[in-house]
Amino acid sequence: MTLSDISLFLQQGVLSGLSTGSVYALLAIAIVSVFKTTDVPNFAQGEIFMAGGYIALVLLAAGVSYAAVIPLTLVAVGAITALFQRVVMERVTSSKGVGVQFVIATLGLAYAIKGLVRQTGLGDTPRSLPALVSSDAVPIGDAVLTRLDIAIFVAAVVVMVLIYLMFTYTRIGKAMRAVGMNPRAAQIVGIRLSRIRMLVWAMSGVISAIAALLITPKVLVTPDIAHIAILAYAAAIVGGFTSLPGAVIGGLVIGVVENLVGLFISTNAIVVAPFLAILVTLIVRPQGLLGGKVQVKKV
Amino acid sequence: MKKVTLDHVALLAAFAVLCVLPFVATGYVLYVVNLLMVFVVLALGMHVVIGECGQFALSHTAFYGIGIYTAGLINATWHPPFVVSIIAGGLLSAAIGYLIGFLALRMRDIYLALATFAFGEAMQWVFLNWEGVTGGSNGMRLQPADFFGLKLTNDLQAYPFVIALTALMLWLTVAISRSQFGSALRAVRESDVAATAMGINARAMKQAAFAISGAFAGVAGGMYTLFVSFIHPESLGFQTTILVLTMVVVGGIGSVRGAVAGAIFFGIISELLRQALSLQEIIYGAILMGFMMFKPRGLFADRKRRVARPVPQDGLGGGAMKGSRA
Repeated sequence: MTLSDISLFLQQGVLSGLSTGSVYALLAIAIVSVFKTTDVPNFAQGEIFMAGGYIALVLLAAGVSYAAVIPLTLVAVGAITALFQRVVMERVTSSKGVGVQFVIATLGLAYAIKGLVRQTGLGDTPRSLPALVSSDAVPIGDAVLTRLDIAIFVAAVVVMVLIYLMFTYTRIGKAMRAVGMNPRAAQIVGIRLSRIRMLVWAMSGVISAIAALLITPKVLVTPDIAHIAILAYAAAIVGGFTSLPGAVIGGLVIGVVENLVGLFISTNAIVVAPFLAILVTLIVRPQGLLGGKVQVKKV
Repeated sequence: MKKVTLDHVALLAAFAVLCVLPFVATGYVLYVVNLLMVFVVLALGMHVVIGECGQFALSHTAFYGIGIYTAGLINATWHPPFVVSIIAGGLLSAAIGYLIGFLALRMRDIYLALATFAFGEAMQWVFLNWEGVTGGSNGMRLQPADFFGLKLTNDLQAYPFVIALTALMLWLTVAISRSQFGSALRAVRESDVAATAMGINARAMKQAAFAISGAFAGVAGGMYTLFVSFIHPESLGFQTTILVLTMVVVGGIGSVRGAVAGAIFFGIISELLRQALSLQEIIYGAILMGFMMFKPRGLFADRKRRVARPVPQDGLGGGAMKGSRA
């Protein structure tokens, strides 16, 4: 491997990594925002994302135009997650559920979605969504990206900016942050906890659907794409698990690391890279990159 | 004289059924019973680390796999009596469990869950890619186990040994649960700070729980090699950990009879629905959500022994997974 090879691999790895990493970052934002406001580590994140891909596929197959498919998919996935929070999680919370119960309830949702998708038989013939952007090559430095890659990255960044604006300037966004900081105090100043939690879940569903719409022109939609959630989890942990900017940085880091591992070590090692990232982060710096100070539990 | 409880009656009835079974049941039924026993031991192992010690670990399948491969490889190489290979698998799993226990000293709750989850997935990757030892994605044939010259070639021959091992592990779990050591584990579960203040070595207790849990999973893996002749890493993934976690939680966290009942209940369900995978997943998902909504403490909630927790003040229902990572 010559020096110019290394330089080419580095450029290519970083640029493609930023593109896929931006999608991981979106999913990590969905995980972190739900965890911050409801204490629920959402183990169904991957399946919710997958549901987005399948809903879009079914709508397209039914002859709905692309312009209508996008909003319909977002609404449908948002409705599923909002309903899940309203019907299932609200009940689990009120019957004194704690971490283990939350995890198992979301795993229940994961199983149900996976089973429903399999039941429809759509998983048997993997398909991709047609791309809106051509996959013409665009050279950047020595590296080559497709226009699709760039569109994914730009769209993801736009969504992140919108999320940031929502959390910073809108009443709903501020209420969500308040619930994340101190639910009881938020309740006292008149914020309806159940409503905010439902909205956060809906938002996480919409973000997952966006991520699905962005990445599915590039990958085949199969029940297995739910595994992408592992990368999103790795991203959230690297970023600190309670920090939204951390989730973004974590997503980009994981995307780049994944690509560099693939280029420099072997494609076989890509699968295990996120787990090593999770383990190393938790052992070396359990609070993640932007997780704030380590808290001490009081008795 | 000791009081005869429902537990004794249930145990006696189970013993009677298990004695009669080999004379009336078909090979398939015996296979399912053998498999259920493996699940019982797996669930008991997870019960020790999650139920007794309160450490939320999701790496159980890794230890199960280590047990299977260790026992299988030792059996294929030296053909010792199967007891030797099972003990070796259990010990290796216990040793690795002890090492993984170091994670529990640094983190808790969701962070521990995710770190152990990552370890479990990394181990599956090792099983899949260490082709020289595990056969990689081709799987590995398991030689018939040997019992002092007698080859165990079918489910019927393995059955008595599987039952005996299960009984032994069940007795061990109850013994641990009733011992002072068990009380120490539960003290750590309720609050490791308070436990330390009482003079309990919380760090040692956590690592011991991980080691014991690993040993149970390793023995379960060894039991598996007695009646199954093929292992593929595909079956050693997160799914299996979730299945066992479900058994423990739906049965009732912290209760031995809950772990056993959960293992049998879900073992039968997953076997009944094996043919209809999608239906299995839907039903399974519905059961999980339903239980968490209406019976979150499981079928056999351990009410008697559970120490009162402080009532959560934030309206979120407990803080077992919230915040602290130190």
